[in-house]
Amino acid sequence: MTACDPAQAAAGLAPEPGETAPVRLAAIEVRTEPGEVAGFLRETGGIGTGDFVPLTFPFRWLALPAIRGLILQLTGGEGFLPVHESQSFAYERSLRIDTDYVLDVEIEASEKPPRLILKMAVSNGDREICVRLETVLRIVRLVAETDI
Amino acid sequence: MIDAAPGAPPPDWPRAGDEIGAQNFGPFAQEALARYAAVSGDDNPLHLDPEAAKAAGLAGPPVHGMLMLSCFEPLIMGWRRDLFIARLSAKFLRPVLAGDGIRVIGRVLRSAWVPKPELILRLTARGRSDDLVILAEAVVQHKNANLIS
Repeated sequence: MTACDPAQAAAGLAPEPGETAPVRLAAIEVRTEPGEVAGFLRETGGIGTGDFVPLTFPFRWLALPAIRGLILQLTGGEGFLPVHESQSFAYERSLRIDTDYVLDVEIEASEKPPRLILKMAVSNGDREICVRLETVLRIVRLVAETDI
Repeated sequence: MIDAAPGAPPPDWPRAGDEIGAQNFGPFAQEALARYAAVSGDDNPLHLDPEAAKAAGLAGPPVHGMLMLSCFEPLIMGWRRDLFIARLSAKFLRPVLAGDGIRVIGRVLRSAWVPKPELILRLTARGRSDDLVILAEAVVQHKNANLIS
């Protein structure tokens, strides 16, 4: 998969401390690489015929450096971890193997309770929306051994 | 193949209340979580490092919620191959720890044929003690509904 430079994507877009306005990343190019689709199918439940893109496959694009970096930044750094609270997928078109797509990503932070809400839209080459994802991550403070 | 009088669903079209047979997935060993982390990119130490899990208040690394959510697609496709999953939304209610498995099941909440052949499904995943770990809802459509390219 390909992606724009994470620093470039997030440059100037990170919120000020305390700010909770949504942060929108620059569009990111991705591809449904056949090998990555096959590997994902192999590890996710036994319908590994390899001739389709699994429903939850787009979730892996949240691990792209531009998105991941912003998630880590908004999570609060060391001592905090994101915990997956809810997830939704809304498909308008199937994704196809070995095809280029564009991601549009928006991340919003809430403080009470501490959560990140990520909204991602996957569009095809004609800029038609294929699928929208919403991911809610609860931010959990890790307990140091000295706190136990 | 859709082959019925206009407005009438074919005899085998599911009805509200129909069950989607239960299916077991896992147990998910720690190695399976590592492999899922590799293919999904979700290498959150919570799932891979027992110390991180402990610091988060868990007895061990929890199975990725998305790995468990991914099990609903084979459940539905194993039930009927003529469906397209248009929507899936889920809440992760409880962790399932590495080494444990889940049992997934579904039920038809609503069934429609017109204006489009569509089902609303209630999907659940339960852990070892039959505790509810994922509560989900899916909207599935017949592949011949011409709604999806």
